[in-house]
Amino acid sequence: MPPPASQARSRFASLRGSGLPAGRLEALAGRLGLPLWRDGDRNGNGDGAGGGDGTDAPVLLVFTVPPDIRDAGCWAPPVAAWIEAGDLEDAALAGLAGRATAADLFVSVTTATANTLQLARHLVQALAARHPLPEERGSDIEFALHEAVSNAVVHGNLQVQGMKGLTVEALERFSQDLADRLADPALARRRVEVGLRLAGETLWIEVADEGEGFLPAAPDAPAPPGRIAGCESSGRGLDLIGSVVRSLRLLDGGRRIRMEFAL
Amino acid sequence: MDYAIETKEQTSVVRMRDRLTFNDHAKLRDLIRELKVGPAKRQVLDLASLTFVDSAGIGMLLIAREELAAADKQMILRGATGQVRRVLTVAQLGKIVTIED
Repeated sequence: MPPPASQARSRFASLRGSGLPAGRLEALAGRLGLPLWRDGDRNGNGDGAGGGDGTDAPVLLVFTVPPDIRDAGCWAPPVAAWIEAGDLEDAALAGLAGRATAADLFVSVTTATANTLQLARHLVQALAARHPLPEERGSDIEFALHEAVSNAVVHGNLQVQGMKGLTVEALERFSQDLADRLADPALARRRVEVGLRLAGETLWIEVADEGEGFLPAAPDAPAPPGRIAGCESSGRGLDLIGSVVRSLRLLDGGRRIRMEFAL
Repeated sequence: MDYAIETKEQTSVVRMRDRLTFNDHAKLRDLIRELKVGPAKRQVLDLASLTFVDSAGIGMLLIAREELAAADKQMILRGATGQVRRVLTVAQLGKIVTIED
């Protein structure tokens, strides 16, 4: 396994920071063997040349959570990977940068951030900037990705059970659990990781959490035609995800979902 | 998600706006309470300005319907478009809730 520095260099042309102190950003760039991205550096190569049409050398963005991470500009090409620094040391950030090389678009954020960032929307916009995406297709992908990220946040990392029974008491319990768990720093700092990979006219999306895992109920039960076995009433919207994907797999004890889409 | 309620005689129209997701749990709780204690027998949820709904949002709409039915009130979903309309269809919500165009 090559060390993170040469891995990162094999994929990214430069490192961009948002909210990080300059000294730390420089140290991280050094560790990754990447030049620093410069404002106005549209092709990401660190040489100030023009570009910005989505085919430019990809930029890795490491950020704390200032307001501009919610701005469209941060999600436009050539940025292709978004890693939240959180409370991680540089060695851990370098490890994440290494993981980012396996995807065309990569995100690693804390649960607290994933909870409010509208990650699915930003990623589908980033995807549309690189591959023609009819509105309805993009909307379906955004929905499936939103469901997967919500599962990772709510059921995965925060370990909140789905609403059991159609009552306002169930809703209140869910609401209280969600608020309580989000307030626990040990849970709120858990990561959500998203990787998108384009292979011709097929899109692969993986979403992973750091929770306890999940087994669909009655995994051996036969599925109705066109549906995915064991996903009914999972409380995780897997049935709905299943309606817009070509295939869906749960991996890593249910901590990771891999979805395949036809583009 | 934001909402505004307008009540005329026996009907309340709730205009919902933007995105209805799991993050709206507190708001939906308040909305359900408000609708239950109101005088109107008929509650129309106008979804025309709703741009996105997730499975938790669907679940909360079902809870609203159950709670209103228990209070002898009727709930109708109206005007869903785009992604919202597609999700309502896939979730086969029309089998449980009255849906109007």
